[in-house]
Amino acid sequence: MRATFIVAAHQLRRVVRNPGLILLLLAIPLTLAVMEYGAFGRSAAEGKLPPVKVLFLDEDDTVVSGFLPQVFSGGPAKDFFELAQVPDKQEAARLFTRNQAAALIVVPRGFQDALLANRPAELVFYRNPIQSIGPDIVASMLQMTTLIGNGLYAKALEPIRQVKALLDAGRDPTSAEVAAISQGFFEAGRRLQGLDALTNLRIGVQRPGDTQARTGFGSDPAQFFAYVFPGLVVFALMFIAQALAIRLLRDRLKGLQRRIVMTPVSPLAVVLGGVTYLVVGLLVLLVFLGVIGGLVFRIPLRDPLSLLAIGLGFALFAAGLHLLSISLSKSDRSAGFVGSVVVLVLSLLGGTFVPAEQYPPFLQRVAAIVPNGAAQQGFIDVLVHKMPLVGLGPGLGVVWAWGIVTMALAVFVERRRLRA
Amino acid sequence: MIEVVNLYKKYGVNEALRGISFRVQPGEIYGLLGPNGAGKSTTIGILCGLVRPDAGQASLNGIDIARQPVEARRVLGVVPQDVALYSEFSARDNLAFFGRLYGLRGAALTGAIDRVLARVNLADRAKEPVEGFSGGMLRRLNIAAGVLHNPSVVLMDEPTVGLDPQTRASILDLVRAIAAGGAAIVYTTHYLDEAERLCDRLGIIDHGVILAEGTLQELREAAGAREIIALRGIFRADAVTLEIEKHTEWELIKATDSELLLTVQHAEQQLAALLALAATLGTVREVAIRQPSLENLFIKLTGRELRE
Ligand SMILES: Nc1ncnc2c1ncn2[C@@H]1O[C@H](COP(=O)(O)OP(=O)(O)O)[C@@H](O)[C@H]1O
Ligand SMILES: [Mg+2]
Repeated sequence: MRATFIVAAHQLRRVVRNPGLILLLLAIPLTLAVMEYGAFGRSAAEGKLPPVKVLFLDEDDTVVSGFLPQVFSGGPAKDFFELAQVPDKQEAARLFTRNQAAALIVVPRGFQDALLANRPAELVFYRNPIQSIGPDIVASMLQMTTLIGNGLYAKALEPIRQVKALLDAGRDPTSAEVAAISQGFFEAGRRLQGLDALTNLRIGVQRPGDTQARTGFGSDPAQFFAYVFPGLVVFALMFIAQALAIRLLRDRLKGLQRRIVMTPVSPLAVVLGGVTYLVVGLLVLLVFLGVIGGLVFRIPLRDPLSLLAIGLGFALFAAGLHLLSISLSKSDRSAGFVGSVVVLVLSLLGGTFVPAEQYPPFLQRVAAIVPNGAAQQGFIDVLVHKMPLVGLGPGLGVVWAWGIVTMALAVFVERRRLRA
Repeated sequence: MIEVVNLYKKYGVNEALRGISFRVQPGEIYGLLGPNGAGKSTTIGILCGLVRPDAGQASLNGIDIARQPVEARRVLGVVPQDVALYSEFSARDNLAFFGRLYGLRGAALTGAIDRVLARVNLADRAKEPVEGFSGGMLRRLNIAAGVLHNPSVVLMDEPTVGLDPQTRASILDLVRAIAAGGAAIVYTTHYLDEAERLCDRLGIIDHGVILAEGTLQELREAAGAREIIALRGIFRADAVTLEIEKHTEWELIKATDSELLLTVQHAEQQLAALLALAATLGTVREVAIRQPSLENLFIKLTGRELRE
């Protein structure tokens, strides 16, 4: 399987040379962990991190654009960001050079129109070149919001439809209509702030099957992160897998995959090359995130073998999922959309944002059988509950079963597509 | 050697290939000349095992491509129609990757890369990322990536599309050099002049059929001494057809409500009579006479021009 190795090594080398979106995605769990800590672990924190200052320039000046600053000023984000409206780019540039802001977000004219017409709507994001970490945090927050926002776009569709009806009718809204639309956006906004639910987090943790309450992370920062970080890592890995897989799709659209298949290698070897690239890439990034978790968040990394066993099974699943998605997609936009929706649904079911232990019993059972929920719980069981490898049995079985089945299906479909 | 027997391929109801056969000897450049959609790329796709024909066989050096695709591809080099390279990598890194897939490694790989870079005149730019390359340089590297392993069968799908005349000429030289090394080459194009300048033998392909085949000389003879008269304007196609068929010295190729194509001998002597007739049946806006040429043969065979 020399060809498999050549293809995998080639793709990995390209990621190392040109990491692109993957760096940003790596920042997600780190940023969110810090944010959650800011919001919930505050009692343990010795003094808060200073807020990141974000400038906001609204060129669109519409209902929708007026709603956008909430992303940074509502929910747990409000403690982490400080928002200031600026009248124009000159003012923003002035604040940038004085190092008084990390980033500028511009809502270009026509943003709402594009959104209403179901055309791609774009926010423009400028980073202050003087600062290094602040802009990254803002960028990943935006990225997150876009990802979640796209998934929840349908929820905001009703008020958007109402606005459109008004615009089409060409008349001013009545006060009752304004109230109804605002209510709709408020509802959508609340859903957008998915992290809000975390405010209800209880400290004492009840696990299914346990009779007495276990001690949760309480006020110990290390415990807090050991508890919260795995879910975020699992979440980020699913998006990173998507970003890695979409690179393969772009290659295919550019005719590069065709060109590889024209060489004397079997289609199966080419498919396995892609699989190896995805799985190895994910494992390396997982280890990297783990090391960061250990160094930055002081999570005691016990039992690396168990962690790796869970990680490999989950990497198989995440890689297989997105390999399947790109195999069935005709454009990177559709693969991006389908993949994101699946990841978001899995994340909600598996308890990425709200630990599944907080769910009602039925949803807890669901969380235990979705791959990301099982992997997350597995990591927590090792890191927090100090369970040995044998104790992980059922959860590990769930992760690996998903991994093997999804990957086998993906390889089958992709190979069939490649064969003449 | 390339041998293709009676290839059929359907995409849904669209018959892309309807019985294609040809044979190419080592050292020979075989041109597949035809307009867009004729079936050239489909034929190439079958020859490299990417497209499965509904019927027919194709073999490279006697190895059946459908039965032993990997073995057949060992002797094969392909230059795809669209440039397919890793834009963030250098020319050398691109070649190294494809070279490895062809089984080259170590000193053999380095040597092959050096040779092919010199051949396509990119040795001095070898270390730059190819995203900064011009269209012509990309095309040359695209060819290099297909032939660096010295294949004995080479398939080139319209490798000069969109290039300036000078770059085109240098690519044709390159193709001749590859053939001189003993490779059997299939070269598809919709440029007539290119086919005339480059190919030892030609197959004129349209709608999935090879309409005529032979050396340039043979095809010119088949085109005959007749000229083509094209009339454009407004006509009643059915009435015109009836009238023209009464004249045995005129041979109608195509009649539509806006265009008449026919072949004649001594066009200038026939023109007056033809115009008079056309005027009674419609309005003539434009008249063109074409001297005997390969293009005429193409028009005669297909009823349309190559670059439609
Ligand atoms: N993958 C495909 N699916 C459907 N139709 C195709 C496909 N590839 C080619 N065709 C059709 O087959 C015919 C021949 O195409 P092609 O071989 O690409 O022509 P050429 O290369 O001579 O321009 C065209 O009508 C084209 O639309
Ligand atoms: Mg073509």
